Amino acid sequence: MREYYPLTAAQKMHHNWILDYNTQQVSGVSVVASLKAALDFGLLKKCIQLEFERYGCMRIRFTKPDKNGEVKQYIVEKETRDIPLKDLSGMSLAEADNLMQQWAYETFDGHDIPLCDVTMVKLAEGYNGFFLHMDHRLIDSCGLVVMINDLMQLYTHYRFGSEYPKDLADFEMVLEKDLKKAGNEKRAAKDKKFWDDQLDALGEPLYSDIQGPSVLEEARERHGDKNLRAADIELKNLFVAVKDYVLEPEPTRNLIAFCMNHQLSMTNLLLLGIRTYLSKVNNGQEDITIENFISRRSTHDEWTSGGSRTIMFPCRTVIPPEMEFLAAAYEIQNVQNRIYMHSNYDPALIMEEMRKRYHTPEHTTYESCYLTYQPMPVKMDNPQLENIAQHSKWFANGAATKKMYLTVSHTEHGGMNFSYHYQTAHLEEHDMELLYYYMMRILFKGIAEPDMTIGEIMEQI
Amino acid sequence: MNQELQFKTIVAQYCEVKPEDMTNDMRFREDLGFSSLDFMSFLGELEDTFDIELEEENALEVVSIAQALELLDKLQQEG
Repeated sequence: MREYYPLTAAQKMHHNWILDYNTQQVSGVSVVASLKAALDFGLLKKCIQLEFERYGCMRIRFTKPDKNGEVKQYIVEKETRDIPLKDLSGMSLAEADNLMQQWAYETFDGHDIPLCDVTMVKLAEGYNGFFLHMDHRLIDSCGLVVMINDLMQLYTHYRFGSEYPKDLADFEMVLEKDLKKAGNEKRAAKDKKFWDDQLDALGEPLYSDIQGPSVLEEARERHGDKNLRAADIELKNLFVAVKDYVLEPEPTRNLIAFCMNHQLSMTNLLLLGIRTYLSKVNNGQEDITIENFISRRSTHDEWTSGGSRTIMFPCRTVIPPEMEFLAAAYEIQNVQNRIYMHSNYDPALIMEEMRKRYHTPEHTTYESCYLTYQPMPVKMDNPQLENIAQHSKWFANGAATKKMYLTVSHTEHGGMNFSYHYQTAHLEEHDMELLYYYMMRILFKGIAEPDMTIGEIMEQI
Repeated sequence: MNQELQFKTIVAQYCEVKPEDMTNDMRFREDLGFSSLDFMSFLGELEDTFDIELEEENALEVVSIAQALELLDKLQQEG
């Protein structure tokens, strides 16, 4: 008999965005993975179909909302659809990327339908591979990387006789475990206490915008409340633009070395860079909150079960200008470590508590910046493919729920890619240029002189 | 299964080292490759499995398997 399960907190986060923004587009995730090699597309198709069997999250469907608006998920036993092959070799790689970008804008509309499309592609310059387009409620980017690697291991097993990939964890089993954990009342009470204690200690958060204090001032005028501490969310014009900057390998190595020498994680260093910039452009505001995404994958089963496990929590720190750079980094790390301990909590409940306490108006937020740090590159980690050039690319879904969403990842050549997704309704490329420029100035000043205070750094850059 | 083995079986879910190959002087981060998130998730799992309550301050001072086992013993005796 088919089991029906409630959505996890991570799935609910995406589901609620679909409802709030009234389009499934905000939940799309797409990637192309290709190799500069002739592929046996008949075999690749069989491997993709086999992957649908192995990776249960690709077969998730959602029910029609019940009378209370609640949606359940279930996993169909088999996917029998065809996997099409599109020949894009007549256009340049850039033109093909543009076309696939259009595919990434497509939506999955309806209930009880497949939420995962795979298209095999022939690309220019001898690249061949596949394009994946899915709903984020099914999978996150780590899950996609695991899937791509597994798929190519299947292919190289059947094509070249390499080892058959290890079994992946059963999605349904891990889902049941997650839901059981989330239903643990004792744990939920501890998690709630942690988040409530933060509000008890610090009070209502204060919005800080990339564009400075005028954004909050405008929101205060619009709401007729001169004490308002949250700003409006853009709900109508969701168009997003992307600006990428690549940090070269040598400076990247310096950042990594600083983290290793001081036992800091890169996420926390990046959070410090962003929050210092926000503080600088908001008249030295000390109380800053940034939403940070974490991928709840720690055990082997969590890593290989697929699913949508990425969830965001507000990283709120109050850092005075006299605090030294290194101490500020440790302060963030301290806050983040505690958040990790309570990361089974549903972040929607944090917002709910704030609305209850502070009467935060509907469709307003305390955060303008969102960060994801991805330590895993989209690279097929397969000894059979080691010497073969690869072309992989993530595609934005074209509809941003967030004003500015920065994804930081590592490049194949040892550098770091800073990918800024920003709502064009309010931001321009120049805003991203400034943010990247100052983030780098802050970080490199800080790692060069870690005992310099945050105030001095803000003054000198 | 004795408690130490049960403990190491949980640790093994987070790393590449088998329970039987773990020594008590192994450090979670340096030797077993735990990230901050892994370590914090692991502590949550310990709380649920052994029905203990970890104080964050104490938990964050734990570096090695031996220290974690010692803390586990102490909390169980207190509880």
